[in-house]
Amino acid sequence: MAGITLRAVRKSFGEVAVVHGVDLEIADREFVVFVGPSGCGKSTLLRMIAGLEDITSGEISIDGRVVNELDPKDRDVAMVFQDYALYPHMTVYENMAFSMRYRGVAKDEIRRRVGHAAKILDIESLVARMPRQLSGGQRQRVAMGRAIVRDPKVFLFDEPLSNLDAKLRVQMRTEIKRLRERVATTTIYVTHDQVEAMTLADRIVILNHGRIEQIGTPEEVYDTPATVFVAGFIGAPPMNLLPQQDVLMGVRPEHLVWHSGSEAPFLSGRATVVEPLGSDTLVSLDVAGTQVIARLPPKLVRRAGEEVALAADPANIHYFDRTTGNRR
Amino acid sequence: MRRAPSWPRHAIMIAVSVLMLIPFYWVLKTSLTGENIYAYPPRIVPVDPHLYNYVDVWYLIPFPRYLLNSLIVTAMAICGNLLFNTAAGYALTKQFPGRRWIVLLLLSCMLIPFQATIIPAYLITAQLGVLNTHLGIALPLLSTIICIFIFKASFESVPRSLIDAARVDGLGEWRIVVRILLPLSKSAVATNVILTFIWSWNAFMWPLIVTRSPEMQTLPLGLARFLSVLEDTTGALYAFVVLVLVPGLAIFLMAQKEFIRGLTSGATKG
Repeated sequence: MAGITLRAVRKSFGEVAVVHGVDLEIADREFVVFVGPSGCGKSTLLRMIAGLEDITSGEISIDGRVVNELDPKDRDVAMVFQDYALYPHMTVYENMAFSMRYRGVAKDEIRRRVGHAAKILDIESLVARMPRQLSGGQRQRVAMGRAIVRDPKVFLFDEPLSNLDAKLRVQMRTEIKRLRERVATTTIYVTHDQVEAMTLADRIVILNHGRIEQIGTPEEVYDTPATVFVAGFIGAPPMNLLPQQDVLMGVRPEHLVWHSGSEAPFLSGRATVVEPLGSDTLVSLDVAGTQVIARLPPKLVRRAGEEVALAADPANIHYFDRTTGNRR
Repeated sequence: MRRAPSWPRHAIMIAVSVLMLIPFYWVLKTSLTGENIYAYPPRIVPVDPHLYNYVDVWYLIPFPRYLLNSLIVTAMAICGNLLFNTAAGYALTKQFPGRRWIVLLLLSCMLIPFQATIIPAYLITAQLGVLNTHLGIALPLLSTIICIFIFKASFESVPRSLIDAARVDGLGEWRIVVRILLPLSKSAVATNVILTFIWSWNAFMWPLIVTRSPEMQTLPLGLARFLSVLEDTTGALYAFVVLVLVPGLAIFLMAQKEFIRGLTSGATKG
C-alpha cells in the first residue's frame, strides 16, 4: 500500500507540451479518477506514473520513493489496459501467473494467488481458456485478475471499460466498485466517462489541456465546480451557462423546476426539442439566443413549440468569471 | 446476384500448377530411370524405376560430407538470421534519432547486387581468419535486410499495450522479444527460416570463393564438381538434384501456411 505524489510533472513531445506541471497528492488506499476529454493528458499522466512514458521534468514518488528513473517493473505497479492487453498465446492462468514467474514467486504461491484472484473475480472456470475464447467482459476480468495477483502498491486503470458495450460497462463498473471493497489498494483510474468517475472515485481529478482544473470529491466537483470547464464537463446534460454582463451564470438542468408561482420566472422560452426519457423529460429551450436544457418531470411538456417558464433555487446558481472562467 | 462459377478459375489454376510441376516430375522420373532426356517421344510414366542412381550419388562422391556442410552452414545462417534480424527489426520499431536514415541506408543496401560486395566481403572474411570454414561460408548470410523488415512489420502489428503490459509485468527488452513478440510473429519466423534456408542451401558463388578444400564444399559446389568429374551421368545427376531439393521442399511444405502469411502480413487490414 502506498501514497503517490506528483510534483510539477511536465511532459512534452518535442515542442508540444501535453502535461503542464501537475501537482497531486494521492493518499494510501485512495481511489482517484483522472477524467477529462480526449487529448487532455490523463492517459499520458498515468503512463508516466507507470513508467511507460518518460517525464520531461518534475518528480513522481510512490510510497515516499522518487521513481522518475525506475523501470516500470521496479515501481511495483499493476496496470489494466483499455484493450485488456492479455497475451494471446497464453492461457488465462498463464496470463495471470506471468509476472509472478519473473519475480521469483514460488509455484505453489503463484497457484494460490491465481486461484484466489480467480475466485474473487468469478473466473475460476476460465483459467484454462485462451483469451480469444473469452467475451469482452471476461477478458476485462482476467485483466483485473492479472493486476490483483501481483498484490502491487498501486493499481493503474487506463480506460478499462471503454471497449465494452453500455450494459456490460455498467455491470463491470459495479464489479470494480465491489472489488474495491475487497482489495483496498491505492488506485488511479483514467476515464473520459464522467459517470464512471462520479460512481467510483474517492476523489476526481479533472484535467483539461494537460492542466488540472479541479480536484475534489464527486460531490464537490458537482456542487461547486471550480471552473466553467468543470461545470460543463461534470453532469449530463452539462450545466447551462448563461452570459450576464461580466459573468457566466450556471444552473444545472436538474435544478431548473417548473414555474408555477405568480412572480416572474427565472427563465422562460419556447421549447425547441423535447426528449422524453421515461423517468423525466429533457426540454431544450431558446432563452435570448442561448440554448438551455431543463430536466423536468415527465409529461409537463409534450412537444416542441410550447411555452416553458422555469424557476431555480438561488442556492443552485453558480457564477463564473467570463474572462478567466474561474468560479466567483 | 448470381456468383460466377468457380470451376473455370480452378481449372486454370490446376493447369498452371501442372505446368509448373512438370520439370520437377521430369527430374524425379529421370533420376529413377536414367533414361535419355532427349528420347523422342518422351515417356510420361517411368519404365523400370530403380534407386541405383541415388546409391551412386551417395557412394561415388562425398555426398554425405557436402550434405553435412550444407546443413551446418544453413543452420548457422538460420540461427544468425533469427538473432540479428529479430534484434534489428525490434530496434527499428522504436523511435530514436537517425532511425529514418538507418531505414533508408538499409533499403539502399538492398539495391546493391551481392556480386558487387564480394571483394570487400572476402577481405573481411580473410581478416577474420574464417576463410574455408563453415562460419566463413555462413558469414554474409547471417542477416538479410528483407528479413529485418519482415520482422519489423510483424513486431509493429503487435499491439503496443502488450509490450507495455510485459514491461509492467517485469520483462526486459530481450525477454519481451523472446516471450511476447516472437511467439506472436510465427509467420515472420517461418518466413525468415524458409528464405534463409533457400538462400543458404542454394548459395553457390560465395561458398565457391571462400572454400579451398573439397571437405568444406556444400551441395551446390558438389553438384558442379559432380558434373565436371563424371560423364554420362544423367540419372545420377538428377538423383543428386532430387536429394538437394528434398530438404528445402520439406521445410517449405511444413511451414508454407505461416510463410505465405508472413509474406503478406500488413498487406490486408485485419
